[in-house]
Amino acid sequence: MRPDPLSIRGVSRRFGGTLALEAVDLEVAAAEFVALVGPSGCGKTTLLRIVADLEQPSTGVVRVGADSPAVARRRRLFGLVSQRPAVLPWKRAVDDVRFTQRVAGRVGFPARDLLGEFGLAGHEDKRPHQLSGGMVQRVNVASAIAHDPAVLLMDEPFSALDEMKREELGEWFGRTLEARPKTVLFVTHHIDEAVMLADRVLVFSAAPGRVLEIVAVPAPRPRGPEFRRNSLFVETTAHIRSLLFGRAATAAAR
Amino acid sequence: MIGRLARGALRVVTPLVSILGLWYAAIWLSGLPAFVIPRPERVFQTLVAERTFITIHLFETLKAAALGFVLANVVGIGLAALFVALPAGRHVVMPVAITLRNVPYVALVTVLVLAFGDTLGSKVTIVVLAGFFPVLVNTYRGLLAADRVVLDRMRILNASAAETFLHVRLPYALPYIVSAQEITGSGSIIVAIAAEWMISSSGLGYVINRAMQQYRGDQVYAVALLAALLSFCIYTVVHVLGRRLDWQAPPEAAERA
Repeated sequence: MRPDPLSIRGVSRRFGGTLALEAVDLEVAAAEFVALVGPSGCGKTTLLRIVADLEQPSTGVVRVGADSPAVARRRRLFGLVSQRPAVLPWKRAVDDVRFTQRVAGRVGFPARDLLGEFGLAGHEDKRPHQLSGGMVQRVNVASAIAHDPAVLLMDEPFSALDEMKREELGEWFGRTLEARPKTVLFVTHHIDEAVMLADRVLVFSAAPGRVLEIVAVPAPRPRGPEFRRNSLFVETTAHIRSLLFGRAATAAAR
Repeated sequence: MIGRLARGALRVVTPLVSILGLWYAAIWLSGLPAFVIPRPERVFQTLVAERTFITIHLFETLKAAALGFVLANVVGIGLAALFVALPAGRHVVMPVAITLRNVPYVALVTVLVLAFGDTLGSKVTIVVLAGFFPVLVNTYRGLLAADRVVLDRMRILNASAAETFLHVRLPYALPYIVSAQEITGSGSIIVAIAAEWMISSSGLGYVINRAMQQYRGDQVYAVALLAALLSFCIYTVVHVLGRRLDWQAPPEAAERA
């Protein structure tokens, strides 16, 4: 499917008396990768769930292409990757991928080919408990995009993995997007992961979640491990860190 | 291989020896007459000599137990599914279910006999009333055990309620449903016999009742032994089947069971 642009205008969310998310504005171009970073409880996940039509905003409007989130969801435009894998414990990897396609009524990519490209050749017939954590998360991503959605919504997809695995999977995921461009919203609390992967990074403040700044990362994607030594990477991560931790932290670091 | 066989034989022989040992010890120590506590060999003689009579009544009991068992599952799983689809239904039905479960069965049996007489229907109804509750409670818990992230996945894919139920909620509930069968399955036999004992002119319960009036302790023991064996067999079958169906059990454990 062609990636769709996303438009988020004045979206806020109130839980009882507390404001969780305050007037977020964001325009995401088709096939653009936007990362959302911020402290825990800043409403990043809530924003993602509002776009996915899993929650309703208190105010504001979201558009996916020309559709409301509810219409986009009914058209199966979304792929969702959660931190905890949403794979079915009793299904073999290939059946899990096909399950998405059967429910969505759309075969985006042939299941075995997709798993092969995701480095799971030879593991297609294994069940989750026979696979390592990194492999299960690859199956999870494969199942999330198996129906070729226009928009990928990812909620800390690699956070449960150890740091080496997380970096490896992040770079791998950046490369997979080259073959099949998607509009991506990517929630993470790892600043380096956000800067490695995203075109722009949305930096949130703590409760209520407010957009402090939208930081652009003007380097072509996908980016390999050498980008971590690039001055652009170093400066951008330092800038985001100073936004999140304030002046005191930056001064102390010097 | 031989070690395995020996261990298997030991597993059968040990309980047999201990049961028979206790049995003989009870006879000698209690000094009770043979019509109260007959010797094991006398009970086995009865089992063989009266096999036709006992088999006929055994099948009567099995019929009531099996029908009741199946219906208890239909009612239990059906209600649990209803509660998940319509949470309000739970508040309406659950008090009734709990009340029915806590009314003494003797009272229920009396009412059923007055209404339907000594029929298969009465017996089956009692088995269902005694058996549906564990199925209902376990299934309901299992249906709610479905992983939230998987439910989100289904919603994102705009799955129908039926798809979510069949492909996600039900498989997640399966281990819970199976563990309920271990209670309801073996319980069905016991409850069917109790119902027959109270109201019926057929089945193992009736045989016990009749034997008591004729001071035929050997017959009571024969039937009791048979019933216990039956309950145990059902429990084992359910347990082994359950291990095969349970996706939570690691495969090697399933093979060992």
